[in-house]
Amino acid sequence: MSSSAAKLGIDSSIGPKPKLRALLVEDNQLDAELVLRALRKDSLEVSAVIVQDEAGFTEALRTHSPEIVLADYNLPNWKGMEALTVLRRQNLDIPMILVSGALGDVTAVECIRQGATDYVLKDGLARLPEVVRRALQEKCERGLRRQAEADLAKKADELARSNADLEQFAYVASHDLQEPLRMVAAYTQLLSERYRGKLDENADKFIGYASEGALRMQVLIQDLLAFSRVGRANGADSMVDCNAVLEEVVKSLGPAIQENGAVIDYSNLNSANLPGVWADRTQIVQLFQNLIGNAIKFRGEKQPVISIRAEKTALYWQFSLADNGIGIAPEFADNIFVVFQRLHARTEYPGNGIGLAICKKIIERNGGNIWVESQAGCGATFKFTIPLRGADEKDGKA
Amino acid sequence: MNSVRHLLIVDDNPADIGLACEALKQCAPSCQINSVEDGVEALAFLNRRGNYSSALPADLVILDLNLPKRGGLAVLAAMKASPDLRCIPVIIFSTSQLSQDVKRSYELGANCYVCKPGNLVEYFAAMKSIEQFWFGLASLPPRGEQTKQ
Repeated sequence: MSSSAAKLGIDSSIGPKPKLRALLVEDNQLDAELVLRALRKDSLEVSAVIVQDEAGFTEALRTHSPEIVLADYNLPNWKGMEALTVLRRQNLDIPMILVSGALGDVTAVECIRQGATDYVLKDGLARLPEVVRRALQEKCERGLRRQAEADLAKKADELARSNADLEQFAYVASHDLQEPLRMVAAYTQLLSERYRGKLDENADKFIGYASEGALRMQVLIQDLLAFSRVGRANGADSMVDCNAVLEEVVKSLGPAIQENGAVIDYSNLNSANLPGVWADRTQIVQLFQNLIGNAIKFRGEKQPVISIRAEKTALYWQFSLADNGIGIAPEFADNIFVVFQRLHARTEYPGNGIGLAICKKIIERNGGNIWVESQAGCGATFKFTIPLRGADEKDGKA
Repeated sequence: MNSVRHLLIVDDNPADIGLACEALKQCAPSCQINSVEDGVEALAFLNRRGNYSSALPADLVILDLNLPKRGGLAVLAAMKASPDLRCIPVIIFSTSQLSQDVKRSYELGANCYVCKPGNLVEYFAAMKSIEQFWFGLASLPPRGEQTKQ
């Protein structure tokens, strides 16, 4: 131990309560005694080391592991606030209280601003025990909060990993399932082509069922693969012009649009155009394709009219896609976004119930929400949000 | 085409080989088809070693990627590194649609990459296209001659 560090008080292992390890930065032995006495008077058992310069302070940090630092503001060979610098440098979260003969208000405020926990004047030492207790309490709470934050971060991390694992599993499973299924599908098809009419009537029917089942399962697996790919997508996000996307979607849905005489209207109320959004372009194309495709598929008696609008809020773009089709009863409004959830018989409306699940995944991957507002028989309005990103988009024009 | 064409199919799934044979029986009944089920056998066959000392030289190889013992890409690399085998056209025929598999195959000198269709009609159509292109339209290198460099 360096000469500048003298140990005061004797560690007693008999006492039931562990002593508070304090490190005093003080050049005046008498003042140190007064500080310790003030603490003990309030039944704070203290084991203290007294130092008066940086070398002594640094060594005492190592040998004494203090729980609290009580530093004089004015020292002949050092400055009390320098102790704070040492604590920071060593990355130690130990509360430091300034104990000073005289400290002006301005200086006191400045010290606390720089990181001192509190200050006590030497002629007001009766306050010291309370100040020490509060400092220790705050440190304890800080520790608990930090622990809670770390636990939360760990949980979020685990969740992200388990989601990624699940997606990987869905991808691998559906990819590997395709292989044997390809054989079942091919050979039942071969059987039905080669032996139709050569066995009995039942055989033709049975082979037909097997063949149809295999083909349907192939489509299901492909849909599942497409669904799991949304999460695995590694396409880079860019500024996507929704007008260009809509043009592309309208072109690719051309036959369905013409066959149904559908009208797709996507001019914006204010600026006559849809905005650009930050996203993966392929996914935005898929999103609009699925939503518009659905709006046409679930058309009513009337000629389908689909209006697409976008409104800017402080945090996101909110899109709405309104149709005049058969609508959805409100009790099914959440169900429709679940994978393989269908509201109609396959013979009524074809499909596997994957389209809206993919839409939801695309939107959620971008940090937005999707929902539907509808009454059965009165058309449906799908709404979704895409968060704004970057200062330019938030400040910029719509 | 006057001479009989020799085709080697490398695939570890007998059902797949069966399907290819069914397809070729329809579109190219005179084609002579041999098949092996792993990468080591494939190279033994092509080099006419061991059990395959009397094997016919192949005019075209249809190669799966996912093979036991030695994978399809390793077989492809070995063929393209061999003066005796490098001229034989290799068609990679795999279920993989991964772009890195496609890219790697061409990098190693594959002559063509075809994804195995899941549907019988498309599968037969793919086989017919392969047969028509390689045994009809394309001129193949002279059989069994070493390419010296």
